[in-house]
Amino acid sequence: MDNKTVETISYLARLKLDKDKKEKITKDLENIIDFVAELQDINTEDIIPLSNPLEKLAPKREDSVTSKSRKEVFLLNSPESDQDYFIVPKVVE
Amino acid sequence: MSIRFKTLAELKELLEKKEISSYELVKETFKNISSSKTNSFITLDEEAALNKARDFDEGKVDGDLAGIPIAQKDLFCTKNLRTTCGSKILENFIPPYDATVVDNLLAAGSICVGKTNMDEFAMGSSNETSYYGTVRNPWDLERVPGGSSGGSAAAVSEGLVCAATGTDTGGSIRQPAALCGITGIKPTYGRASRWGMIAFASSLDQAGAFARNAEDCALLLNHICSHDSKDSTSISEERENYLDNINNNLKGKKIGIIKEFDISSLNKEVQDSFEKSKKIFEALGANFVEVSMPNIKLSVPTYYVIAPAECSSNLSRFDGVKYGYRAKDVDNLEELYIKSRSEGFGDEVKRRILIGTYVLSAGFYDAYYKKAQQSRRMIKNDFVDALSEVDVIMSPSSPSSAFKIGSKTEDPIEMYLEDLFTISSNLAGVPAMSIPHGFSDGLPIGLQLIGNYLEESKILNFAHQYQKNSDWHFKTPNLGESS
Repeated sequence: MDNKTVETISYLARLKLDKDKKEKITKDLENIIDFVAELQDINTEDIIPLSNPLEKLAPKREDSVTSKSRKEVFLLNSPESDQDYFIVPKVVE
Repeated sequence: MSIRFKTLAELKELLEKKEISSYELVKETFKNISSSKTNSFITLDEEAALNKARDFDEGKVDGDLAGIPIAQKDLFCTKNLRTTCGSKILENFIPPYDATVVDNLLAAGSICVGKTNMDEFAMGSSNETSYYGTVRNPWDLERVPGGSSGGSAAAVSEGLVCAATGTDTGGSIRQPAALCGITGIKPTYGRASRWGMIAFASSLDQAGAFARNAEDCALLLNHICSHDSKDSTSISEERENYLDNINNNLKGKKIGIIKEFDISSLNKEVQDSFEKSKKIFEALGANFVEVSMPNIKLSVPTYYVIAPAECSSNLSRFDGVKYGYRAKDVDNLEELYIKSRSEGFGDEVKRRILIGTYVLSAGFYDAYYKKAQQSRRMIKNDFVDALSEVDVIMSPSSPSSAFKIGSKTEDPIEMYLEDLFTISSNLAGVPAMSIPHGFSDGLPIGLQLIGNYLEESKILNFAHQYQKNSDWHFKTPNLGESS
């Protein structure tokens, strides 16, 4: 885990690390990755990955509208909105 | 009349006999909270709680939990009541809906007094990662209550409320229950709805309860657990009445002891308590069998790949656009995302997002994430095999009693090992609980009971029989120092 890798994954996660914390976090990440690296030595041949402990398929339902539009309620939580829209900085120059 | 340390069942009886009104109960609860030094709550809802109490006193409310004040972990969305998840990024978030678990408990007549403190986004085992300050353990204010549901555990332990909700992704109900000397249960994955629970690791997260004893937990689970079509992983099988089998006889029942959990490496008091608890179950007619779970040693590394992977995906929704914290002075949209997330999340959350991003990134996915999912199946298979031989599995809930605040914050891995005994049940998805069963260094420790899928009833039965034959669950902290 070098500086460049940390910078790449930080960007992928849209995070910027404080300069004074970067070294510590890099070290922590390195230790954690070392710690989980134990998994690479185990024999997992023919083992199907398990993503959900119950292994059930998601139930199907009729494709129908189940709730009313409450956009004004949801817009209330927005840091910035105007009538029907969330406001963000200009995207298109 | 002092209501502190009364059980849910006792408070119900007092209300039924009209020896106390719900209004008095709620008033007294807020009085106790205001003098508490544990920092268990992030947000209180006194006015609404008192109004609901009046409604109960006027005969307008009924239900199993009618008129009883309880607390909700601040991870559950509560309609019109701030829900922070312990994070700065949700400091001003007011959900427009109730989580299903909250809805169920309200429908049973309970009164929500407020939202309990927790590790930020439930990531932690000590409640020290909360943006709203560390929660203190009522048994010793210099020590942690455990985490992530530390506020709920401390609030019940201190007798501020008789019950509280929690969530458990890797031990976040059982470990704080153990460290605070109370009872806590995590049902089978999918048994309680995740709708309205702010997601951390969706394939591991599960809601549950804290109370003073197993019987109260059973009553709470009767309402917390339900089928919910709004959660696609919700179990559709009918829910049992968890009180029905609580008095079953334990004669001839088998309890598994995991061969690979090295109890002898733990401190002597933890070992002694474990041996004494075995004797109690033996006296009740249960037999002990050693079960081998060779892959259980992979649980912590497996968890620390899967949980961060799911967290990095789930937490990508926090971007400062539709709700939550938004950074000031940004020039473009990307900067808005980066700055809002960087200023809004704490260090542990960032660490886990970064680990998750790393293990899911191109070139590493197979080596880490896929491998962890394979090892997860191996761990699950161990549980399936072991639980086909025994009724329940027993282990300590945590390696030791509550540690000093600040003593494990520098080394994340040392903190992760706090959940050594609890994490595997989340990976397998089986139900598990912690009950108080002794003291180490003068502080409470817990005994973990793990059951087979959908056998919450069975572990509650074992726990209740244990509590009928022991008095650890009656022990309460000396609040001379804490309030």
